[in-house]
Amino acid sequence: MPKLDLNNFKQEAQKFRSNLDAIPSSLMVCHCTTCLAAGAQKVHQALELELEKRNLQNKVRVKTTGVTAFCAMGPVVIAQPSGTFYGRTRPQDAPELIEHVAEGKELERLLFKDKDGKTIARQEDIPFVAKQKPVVLRNRSVLDPTDINDAIAHGAYEAIFNLLKKETDGEAIIDIIHRSGIRGRGGGGFPAGLKWKSARKAAKERLEPVFVVCNADEGDPGAYMDRSIVEADPHSLIEGMMIGALAVGATEGFVYIRREYPLALERLSNALDQARKKGLLGKSILGSDFSFDIKIHRGAGAFVCGESTALFASMEGKAGEPRAKYVHSVEFGFRDKPTVLNNVETWANIAQIINNGPEWFASMGTGDVSKSPWSGSSGTKVFSLVGNVEYTGLVEVPMGMTLRQIVFDVGGGVEGGRKLKAVQTGGPSGGCLPESKLDLHVDFDTLQEAGSMMGSGGLIVMDERTCMVDVAKYFVDFLMGESCGKCTPCREGLSCLHEILHRITEGKGKPDDLVLLEDLGAMLKDGALCGLGQTAANPVLSTLRYFRDEYDAHIEQGRCPAGVCKALIKYTIEPDKCTGCRLCVKPCPTDCISGEKDKPHTIDHGKCIQCGTCMDACPEDAIRVE
Amino acid sequence: MIKVTIDDKRLEVEPGTTIMAAAEKAGIFIPRLCSHELLEPYGACRVCSVEIEQNGRTKVVTSCNYPIRSELTVRTNSERATKTRSMVLEMMLARWPKVKVVKDMAAHEGITQARFSHPLVDNNENACILCGRCVNICRNGVRQNVLSFEGRGSSRQVSMPYQQVPAECVGCGACEWICPTGAIKMIDDPNGSADWDRIRRAGMVVTRELILFDDDQCQMRRKGTSNLVDVMNDYDLLPVHNYRFGSHPDAKFVQSEVFASKFVTNGLPDGCALGCDMACAHAADDFELQTGPDKGKRVIVDGPEYETVGGSTNMGIFDPRWILEMNYYCDNYGIDTISFCTLMAFVMECYENGILDKEKTGGLELNFGAKDAAMEVLHQMARGEGFGLVAGQGIRRMKKKFAEEYGADPKFLQDIGMEAKGLEYSEYVTKESLAQQGGYGIALKGAQHDEAWLIFMDMVNKQIPSFEDKAEALHYFPMWRTWFGLNGLCKLPWNDIEPEDNAQEKEPHKVPKHTQAYCDFFAGVTGREVSADDLITMSERVYNFQRIFNLKMGFGTREHDAIPYRSVGPVTEEEYLSRQDRYDEQLKELEGDSVAGMSTAEKLQMLRKHREDRYAKLLDAVYLRRGWTSNGIPRIETAKKLGIDKVDGLVELLKEHGAH
Repeated sequence: MPKLDLNNFKQEAQKFRSNLDAIPSSLMVCHCTTCLAAGAQKVHQALELELEKRNLQNKVRVKTTGVTAFCAMGPVVIAQPSGTFYGRTRPQDAPELIEHVAEGKELERLLFKDKDGKTIARQEDIPFVAKQKPVVLRNRSVLDPTDINDAIAHGAYEAIFNLLKKETDGEAIIDIIHRSGIRGRGGGGFPAGLKWKSARKAAKERLEPVFVVCNADEGDPGAYMDRSIVEADPHSLIEGMMIGALAVGATEGFVYIRREYPLALERLSNALDQARKKGLLGKSILGSDFSFDIKIHRGAGAFVCGESTALFASMEGKAGEPRAKYVHSVEFGFRDKPTVLNNVETWANIAQIINNGPEWFASMGTGDVSKSPWSGSSGTKVFSLVGNVEYTGLVEVPMGMTLRQIVFDVGGGVEGGRKLKAVQTGGPSGGCLPESKLDLHVDFDTLQEAGSMMGSGGLIVMDERTCMVDVAKYFVDFLMGESCGKCTPCREGLSCLHEILHRITEGKGKPDDLVLLEDLGAMLKDGALCGLGQTAANPVLSTLRYFRDEYDAHIEQGRCPAGVCKALIKYTIEPDKCTGCRLCVKPCPTDCISGEKDKPHTIDHGKCIQCGTCMDACPEDAIRVE
Repeated sequence: MIKVTIDDKRLEVEPGTTIMAAAEKAGIFIPRLCSHELLEPYGACRVCSVEIEQNGRTKVVTSCNYPIRSELTVRTNSERATKTRSMVLEMMLARWPKVKVVKDMAAHEGITQARFSHPLVDNNENACILCGRCVNICRNGVRQNVLSFEGRGSSRQVSMPYQQVPAECVGCGACEWICPTGAIKMIDDPNGSADWDRIRRAGMVVTRELILFDDDQCQMRRKGTSNLVDVMNDYDLLPVHNYRFGSHPDAKFVQSEVFASKFVTNGLPDGCALGCDMACAHAADDFELQTGPDKGKRVIVDGPEYETVGGSTNMGIFDPRWILEMNYYCDNYGIDTISFCTLMAFVMECYENGILDKEKTGGLELNFGAKDAAMEVLHQMARGEGFGLVAGQGIRRMKKKFAEEYGADPKFLQDIGMEAKGLEYSEYVTKESLAQQGGYGIALKGAQHDEAWLIFMDMVNKQIPSFEDKAEALHYFPMWRTWFGLNGLCKLPWNDIEPEDNAQEKEPHKVPKHTQAYCDFFAGVTGREVSADDLITMSERVYNFQRIFNLKMGFGTREHDAIPYRSVGPVTEEEYLSRQDRYDEQLKELEGDSVAGMSTAEKLQMLRKHREDRYAKLLDAVYLRRGWTSNGIPRIETAKKLGIDKVDGLVELLKEHGAH
């Protein structure tokens, strides 16, 4: 692999582009974790075999891509240049797919059909995709994340090339970032420009080295934005960090990534190796006097290690426990040196800001960030839209879109047309917002005001069958398992919250319990050491705020309105609906359903464990929960 | 200074002062649990939470670790602060209802019973409440890292590696001492001491001071003995160019901060003595060697100790990397860095004076500062080749060879060859400290400072002005330091860390509180009660016996306590002129104004006569104090008093040498 430098970069990039253009027709097979799990590898192999068989290798290319983000439809194959979207493909579809693509035709039966049964051929026209504004995910279903030449052909490293070529000063770079208004996508929403500025200043004043670190320790249940970015476009992350390093004067960078992301890890290591071989990392990058390299630090998967000080402790080889941030980690971070820590999504935005200018970035989103990045939320945000929503997947939308637009216009509404109860944002320590808040314009500040938070961008849709007390209990249990146990409020407070919530869901709640929950919540908010603890009560506090009647129903009436809390529900068979088909009898794990064939059956409540299997099995909708 | 208001009391504090410290200054007590004067703030229990207001915004913070950096209003009892504190204590009370400290603190907030049950309730009166004090004192105070937390969240507990007591735990007892609930109990005494608890308590006195004061005193834990380089250079005591001078502008390149910040990276004890919490021995790791058989290897180098750095400045070498390389090779070859440095400084002075030349050194140019050549001599010494064969024999034999074979002036060689009893001097310029001259000259094994390090006491603190004072010091301290050797103990925790009130003691230079700690160690181990004087008597017996042994071997008389004049005063005119004001002043005090018209050579001679007389008088005074004859031989009554007279032939030997 020949090294790139400031003189040959443009020609080489052009060369890579020409190579691509030589074979215009391609089938992009999504190789994200989701599609791979759905069998993408086999589809890919089948397609290649078929190509060989028909000797079409020079006409059609089968290519690996990172993420199409429409995860509900995996394995996804996209035909280029038409942009035709084929979902839920199987290996046996390969001959037809090849045939159609080679002849420039569409394979009707694999095309996407919307809720009304309308066929939509082009990916760009599918509402789930059409309403999005991809910046970070702009290369989805386009780029081969395992090939740096492909990335360069699509514009990777152009920003750093230009900065080095023009010998742009670090302060000027920071100014661009500052004016773009970009705020940290990891959850805190701290303006990146300010962070970089402080780190540069601290390093200059103390004559100490400064580090740039990427937080890829995404640990929220149901969130996989960062993983997908690394899997789909690792070079965008690397280039962002290079620009950050150039701006603050760092020569060493680290990516803290969890071991549970094997594919992302592999793609990133591979990308780093290729970048080094190209002269894009290491000493004298592109022949300039800028030297920088990135090391990968594998995290062991503790949720708390996403918290900056715990992350640094873990990188230093210590137990991943946070410390007080009264002294900012941007000044005393990794190894007590000035450190810029941003998450994957933030870094992946940086090169785009340099390429398109801060005004372009600031033009997207809410507020006016021209004076201060605090007065708005600029740019786009990637959300992982999951839960009881029609189309699950990653969505990238401009800041300021309403929750309603995201759930209904992009996500296709609640699954099965059911009624929406709540949208949970911000990961486990975020909050649950009710239907009445759906018209909130999603940005850092409004979510916070509503009692939730942006977090790293988890968005869980909950329908009417969800019990909000149960939801609060679920998140508290998750956080209790992830609490490091260093500070008393988090360690003991979560245990106590857990105890009380379990009591309530078992119908043993006491009238004073809600006061206690609020007291504990306030104590956690004010008293806990780190962000995890301070926000740990959010699921409880936000559900108490918006769904207090459900708590009351549990405590006062011993009733779970959503029919979820097992101790409070009873399954019965409606005699006039039951046909005695016996379909529910066999699956029942406790053999508690009895009756004569073709006659209404009954449930023995002494033996029933409220598993709900019978309800799922019943074709007549004869089983009732109360 | 920053203005702070705490509960309506106004005060000014230094930037960086914690809220807790500021509150204490204002006479306001903030409740606390994990916080302790010996520990870095940990900020885990959150009992010390207070509410602060800054720029119109309020928040709750922990007072133990919140540094005040700008104007601030603190409310220790605001509703939010009180609620946080109360709720924290209520949860603790729910989990540990029988633990006294929890009950008391909760009661102070008006809570006697938790409103809820805790899933992990523990009714043990001495339950561990996870405050982390033990873990932190073990890790940061004692620096042993034996204790740690294991498990996460509600399964967090204090433990040791693999839940077994590791060899690294020396049973210092600091964890038991600092535990607020009695959860830790020392149950084992692996060494069968008479009173293990007494040893622990005495040890804790020193541990406490090290944690609290070392950073402001000698920084032994951060820098080790090399902290002396800076001090010695400041006081004109750092040997430069074979002890001709006592300071050098380039000393800044090898001062302790350079090593501490650039080379010593891990900051961990090197295990010199297991469980020593002074842990002064440091190591530079990942050091790449430039010469010799291990060239190119990346190695760990011990130290450097003060003497190794001082020895290098004595050769006129001010390069920290060279010092580490020399230290590595000396260690690996089994060569003492002090002897090597001092003899090389002598070689260099001989080279500069023409006594040696390239022909005699095998082509090496050995001027002061010739670091590459000096390193080559070290390798040659180890290989037994070339000039290394000559240098490796030491100063005493070189003096003889240079006089006999190269025709050098034996008197000059005697003046500048810095050895006594055949042992090379360690690295202190003693010209202005008569007591230290005696310390080197009379020391039984030769010119080593570990028998009597009086230079600071004498010169800087001026604690021993008269001959009698000096003689007393030259009796007491060699005996005291011998005692450490007799007991296999290190002397550094005795006076390289001092109690906060040591200056108020009657004899601060003896560090009486620590002397008492050593009495406690001795009594704790042996079960035998001893006073500080008893310790000196133990040493006197051995010390006198050693002196008599020297006598039997043909040494041990006054003539063997002679020292080279370079350690007493300026040998050359250049040396005199370099500190002319000082010497002129001294001569004027002694001889009056007649000095004014004299030439430098005359003044040099006059100063020499005076200083040699003074040394002779010192010997007289010390011998008298020690119960020795004027020839430096223990009197028979001294031997009798010490009970060593029963040794076969000992009294006869003393008599033979004129003792009575």
